[in-house]
Amino acid sequence: MTTKPQGLGSLATIVESARQTWNLSRRDRLWWFVAAILVLVPALAFVLAGRAEDGLGGRGLFCLMAWWLHGTVIVPWLTLYLGVQAVHGRIEDRTFQYLFLRPVRKVALLAGNWIAVASMAGGTGVLGMGLLFGAVALRGDLWPDGIEWGLAGAFAVVAGAAAAAYAAVAVLFGAFFRRPLVWAAFFVVGVQMLAANLPVSAGLRRLTITDPLRRLLLDGIEPDRRLAQMLWPAERDFRPELIEHPLRDLLLLGGLCLVAAGMAYARTEYDSRERE
Amino acid sequence: MTSTAASSGLPDWILDCERISKWYGPISALTDVTLRVGREVVGLVGRSGAGKSTLMKLAVGLLRPSQGSIRVAGHPAGSRGARACSGLCPDTERLYDALSGVDFVAWMLRYHGLGHRECRERSAATLTELGLGEHMHRPIREYSKGMRQRVRLAQALAHRPRFALLDEPMTGLDPLARRELGERIRRLPEQGVGVLVSSHVLQELQGLVDRVVMLHQGRVLAEGTVAEIREQMPAAPHRVRIGAADPRRLAAELVHWPSVQGVRFGDSSVLELSVTGEPDFYIALTELGTRWPGGLREITPLDDDLASVFGYLLG
Repeated sequence: MTTKPQGLGSLATIVESARQTWNLSRRDRLWWFVAAILVLVPALAFVLAGRAEDGLGGRGLFCLMAWWLHGTVIVPWLTLYLGVQAVHGRIEDRTFQYLFLRPVRKVALLAGNWIAVASMAGGTGVLGMGLLFGAVALRGDLWPDGIEWGLAGAFAVVAGAAAAAYAAVAVLFGAFFRRPLVWAAFFVVGVQMLAANLPVSAGLRRLTITDPLRRLLLDGIEPDRRLAQMLWPAERDFRPELIEHPLRDLLLLGGLCLVAAGMAYARTEYDSRERE
Repeated sequence: MTSTAASSGLPDWILDCERISKWYGPISALTDVTLRVGREVVGLVGRSGAGKSTLMKLAVGLLRPSQGSIRVAGHPAGSRGARACSGLCPDTERLYDALSGVDFVAWMLRYHGLGHRECRERSAATLTELGLGEHMHRPIREYSKGMRQRVRLAQALAHRPRFALLDEPMTGLDPLARRELGERIRRLPEQGVGVLVSSHVLQELQGLVDRVVMLHQGRVLAEGTVAEIREQMPAAPHRVRIGAADPRRLAAELVHWPSVQGVRFGDSSVLELSVTGEPDFYIALTELGTRWPGGLREITPLDDDLASVFGYLLG
């Protein structure tokens, strides 16, 4: 009697890990709360559309709400929560033991977590922004030049990029820190808000997700000066050349986070980690 | 016992721990432990904090030793090869509560490289064998403590490991289930599986294990069969209960024997003796029984069990 299979290959492990993370995360009661928000935000937009100040229009209303509600609150926090739960939750409740005993690469397990979290949060972000766009689009009077469907596409790209980048940060914090949600709060509220008030040329901005995301968004929607300032209050003199290479910056930050997370996850003796 | 394995080309020992130590900063969890397990059931005995769980987690690679080496079926502990042929029933209470028992075990099997269909079939078969067939499609959160324990066992055994580490496997099981599980564990060596099983309930291990390893404060206190360990403690007198007609006269005779250190009266027809030089004592006692009026009704060693031996060792 011997064990013939020597374990699942890395690619299949990533798929299986992602599938099971999906399977477990979709049962979280948090989704009821998320569903309520996804419905409430478009409802709020529909109500506000009737009172929108002159000149804001459907374009401005959608961009403001999509960025400041979905782009900076819902997508980041949902992604960070799911990512931390998928990695740190299993370490804290010690169910990681069942996984780490299997003849598969830990890094592949982690990559599966990242893919699942990024796809769930990204999908939710795209759905939320789509519903919001739909609600604003219903007010035809706010679109004198016709409905700009391209805006929805630009925000969908931003939602996907945001989810992928925040998921990378979440798995790093989950693998590395004992209190990952506290660190996540520090990152979002502390580092990113601090960086947002620095000059546009500050290098620290490249260590955030908000800043390249905002540049990606501005590149996609080509805002007028007023809208640009509403979306990027720290920059009083928006110029297209400030956009530079937002996707490259996001890829670099996300990649660094994933590599560091993989190294921590593969090497750390989590069993000796104390419960919090 | 295990040397026969060499002829089959397999390593002599399924688990081979060579002088391992584990430190957490200044705290020593295990010190210079050498342990080998072949195709047999070895009991790991010790009080809470003795290092049992640490030793098991080192053996499956969840922890790395600070010193020494561990090999499982010839593979370094923690390597993919070692993980492929190990199964651990951990001491954690937690499981993936949202999943059903059959889904959870099938998921774990999938990582061993089995196809989806085979995972489901083997998961169902293992859970059925462990008495969970009727309930395997229910969510684990609805399971009793005993049912959850069976799921933990199933995930440890379903992939047919060559080496099974069972940390307190009887926890939460009813007496009938304990007996059934004990019988299943006893059969594992026949299938080529080495088993390391821990329990703080020593009576559970009695009759289940081929030999025991006693841990105390991270060190191996004793190792061998219970009888072998007991024989190594000549200073600790054996306690023997003898039932016979006229126990007072019997006590008066026995008290003069050099091997008898003390005599205590139990109920009306029973004596309890403290004895050294055990083999000679039993030879003389057998001879006495043949001429004693009515014979000796009972001769029962009282402290040759695991619990007594462990108690003696720890003083």
